[in-house]
Amino acid sequence: MVDSPRNSVNEKINLRINGEWHEYEIGRDLEPCTTLSAFLRERLGFTGLKVSCDEGACGACTIILDGKAILSCMMLAVEADGKDVLTIEGLAKDDPVIEAFAEQSEPGHGTALQCGYCTPGFVMSVRALLNENPDPTLDEVKEALSGNLCRCGCYAGIVMAVRHASEKIAQRARQA
Amino acid sequence: MTIPYKPRVKRQFVGGYQPRIDADEKAHGRAPYADDMISDRNYPGLLHAVVLRCPYPRARIVRMDVSKARALPGVKAVLTYEDPEVLRMKPTNAGWTDAVDTVSYEGMMWRKFRDRRVLGDYATWAGDEVGVAIAAISQQIAEQALKLVDVDWEVLPFELDPLKALKPGAPVIHPETASTNVLPPDPVGGPDVFLVKGDIEKGFAEADVVLEMDTKHHNPTQGSLDPWCCMATWEGDQLTIISNSYATDQTRMHVSQMLEIPIHKVRVVSKYVGGQFGRGDTGDQPFFIFTALLAKIAGQPVKFKHSRRDSFHDTRQPAQYHCKVGAKADGTITALHFKSIGDIGAHADHSVFALKFAPAEISEAALAPIPNIKMESYAVYTDHIPGCMMRGVGNSQFNFIFGRMIDGLAEKLGKDPIALSIQNFGHEWGSCPDASLKAVLETGAQRIGWTEKRHQPGTGPLYEGFKRRGVGFSVHPGWHAEWQEERRGQVQVKITLNPDCTVTLDAPTVETGTGSNTCNVLGCAEALGFLGIQPKDIAWVAAIDTDRGMRDCVQTDSAVSFLQSEVMIVAAQELKKKLLDTAASFLQLKTDDLEIVKGRIVGAGKEISVKELLMKGDLVPISVMISRHPASQRTGVPYIASFAEVEVDTSTGRTQVVKLVIINDCGTVMYASGAESQQIGGQVMAIGEALTEEIIYDPVHGVPLNFNFIDYKMPTILDMPEIEPVLLEVWRGAGEYGACGIGEGTLTCTPRAIANAVYNAIGARIDEIPITPDKVLRALGRI
Repeated sequence: MVDSPRNSVNEKINLRINGEWHEYEIGRDLEPCTTLSAFLRERLGFTGLKVSCDEGACGACTIILDGKAILSCMMLAVEADGKDVLTIEGLAKDDPVIEAFAEQSEPGHGTALQCGYCTPGFVMSVRALLNENPDPTLDEVKEALSGNLCRCGCYAGIVMAVRHASEKIAQRARQA
Repeated sequence: MTIPYKPRVKRQFVGGYQPRIDADEKAHGRAPYADDMISDRNYPGLLHAVVLRCPYPRARIVRMDVSKARALPGVKAVLTYEDPEVLRMKPTNAGWTDAVDTVSYEGMMWRKFRDRRVLGDYATWAGDEVGVAIAAISQQIAEQALKLVDVDWEVLPFELDPLKALKPGAPVIHPETASTNVLPPDPVGGPDVFLVKGDIEKGFAEADVVLEMDTKHHNPTQGSLDPWCCMATWEGDQLTIISNSYATDQTRMHVSQMLEIPIHKVRVVSKYVGGQFGRGDTGDQPFFIFTALLAKIAGQPVKFKHSRRDSFHDTRQPAQYHCKVGAKADGTITALHFKSIGDIGAHADHSVFALKFAPAEISEAALAPIPNIKMESYAVYTDHIPGCMMRGVGNSQFNFIFGRMIDGLAEKLGKDPIALSIQNFGHEWGSCPDASLKAVLETGAQRIGWTEKRHQPGTGPLYEGFKRRGVGFSVHPGWHAEWQEERRGQVQVKITLNPDCTVTLDAPTVETGTGSNTCNVLGCAEALGFLGIQPKDIAWVAAIDTDRGMRDCVQTDSAVSFLQSEVMIVAAQELKKKLLDTAASFLQLKTDDLEIVKGRIVGAGKEISVKELLMKGDLVPISVMISRHPASQRTGVPYIASFAEVEVDTSTGRTQVVKLVIINDCGTVMYASGAESQQIGGQVMAIGEALTEEIIYDPVHGVPLNFNFIDYKMPTILDMPEIEPVLLEVWRGAGEYGACGIGEGTLTCTPRAIANAVYNAIGARIDEIPITPDKVLRALGRI
């Protein structure tokens, strides 16, 4: 392993995870080569995100970083220094996206999840999409979710869940 | 347009549209999968294991030096092919059972084909696990140690082409099980010519039209997102394995018999699984064994997890089929001859199941009215990745020639293929025309717009200058009616009524995404209708643990959805009796004088709610455990069909599916949202299989090239067309529900439906999937 300034003892990084700042020490809490997905899952126990392909091809490890959906397996934890990390554990219990994924059973479209392994990644991609665009078109939904694989094939149910989440957001905004 | 299905019998809970019982947990990311549970955080001192994979398609280890690996700081255990506990291990395979039943080593299904060694010295595909397994304090150190293992390989000539491998003189791949590369006949699969009915030569002589054709089915892989993993840990001589295996009882039997330790010393636990789809054929994988041995050597828990690349460890069984069909001018089929050559890859496992067992079953179902049939098959070893089960066993491959035969024969006779199918097929215990067959085809035709859209091949209108559209269908007998599940043995269910009138349901099965857990809860609420409870009052036990003493009903054959619910009906009646006895004792009345209506015990002028009664008693829950064989009444099977509309770009060769209609006759819909999810969801695999998914090899070096999710192309949300799921209840099986599994069958017919639609669109046949642009352009004579 090549020594670099970042490898020096006591170098620290700061991450804001689900609203709270934390300080981690390189060499003790993580290695310079630790991916953000591995750090969040293995070290910190945020097991909602999944590591399925570990090479940026499936979307199961999607989290939100500084407001954007990213693949946490494609980023080193040290690269997230100073950034705002949101995992599925950080969403509200009554998050409209989570509710919509859980509730979808409208006839003709199936459910929005079956085995559930890809679901947290989809939820985070949808959450990031609706943050930016609360009423997306079908094409915009498909484009935003084209990096998330669902091998159980619940894409039709997922499209309905996005629509329902969008409606919930609008409804709650009206009530507020 | 969405048309909800019409239930034959109106029930309170069974058959409903509703969310899955685990939807909330899964949508929050809280459902625990094995990889989530087995972490360094949860198990301090956890070691991580790796195994050597042969880099050559065929090679033998001549010498191995592991001294540098052993010396690497952080390495805690090294196990090699030369260690005594490995050398004395029995030869095995991944074909113990299709996981319908639990079997012993001696009773395994394909005991003639034990061609796998746990950490052997001989590899027969570039990816075979051989030679050495290492456990270290981190995955990185374990991987680094593996690189320090010095191996002298004897690299051997390899063969990827089954047609060359079966020729006399070809180097024999597994001399220990087969003296040539063709698997010998065995007691389950039968001889090479495994089915002869009537006299096909006589049948062909009687025919007015005789037609021959060939199809080639390739090697898609299951692609479960949840990589296989396990943790083995020992406390004294007690071994515990936590894994995402979908078969805990069988895994326990496998581990017990391979390591020669008593069953009660092995505990296997599974919880949620992120998609199974037939991967690995069964849980009988060598990694359970070497992980357990490493844990014993190290005296610490050891985790083994497949990387994404390692997750490409088996495929659907690739098969080439030849069919000859003879028919009268009026459409009556007089003779059928099917011959298949299966590329079974590096290990036999269950391949004969796909090549012989499944087609033989179809001869009893769809082909029963045909007087003269001959079927023969040759299972050929090659140095490819092994292949067998993937959401079905052999049916997809057979349907690819069967649906081709129907389409081709109808064209030759100038008849409609739907009418031709109804005229010729049925099942052994039914009448012809078959009501289920007629229903699935006529419904499908109506929903896709068959009459309006079907035209002579290649004669439809042009869209955007270069694009042509076409429609096609394929049809298949379903399988996994209750009588076909007899081999499963007793199905076990335990219902516990708690003192507050809530229920704990122990219907053991590892939840892999199929939704049978929701079927179970709906079936339980239905059976316990006398308690007046709702599904939310029932807790389904998600963790499957062999120490609980019940055999798990494995998610295979798509049959768990109804098998356990049938048993619950018996269990609920037993529970009712016990509850009435308790009430009679409490109320000092006779049991016969009492009845339970909507959660209230009434009789002899007295009335008390169940909850009130139980809370006044000793607070001991009332439990009933029932073991029951599936009903054996021969009811035949229902039908399934896929109708496809495609658009083919004749300038680029790209095929896009415009619409799919998927029709499943279920007998009884147990859970409508779940069934529709299976119908819609199965099309991801089906479209991938038909158009894009394929394992590609370097023909010079014999090495697979695309073991990743970038180059192995699974459909995304952008690739999926409109899908219309249609559920029917026409056929009826045995039991209260008379249902039939549908999960596997949702994708059986789609690749052929797409291929027939492509022919209808462009007027040129492509009988080898995936239908990639180059094949389309070649068929059109453009390249």
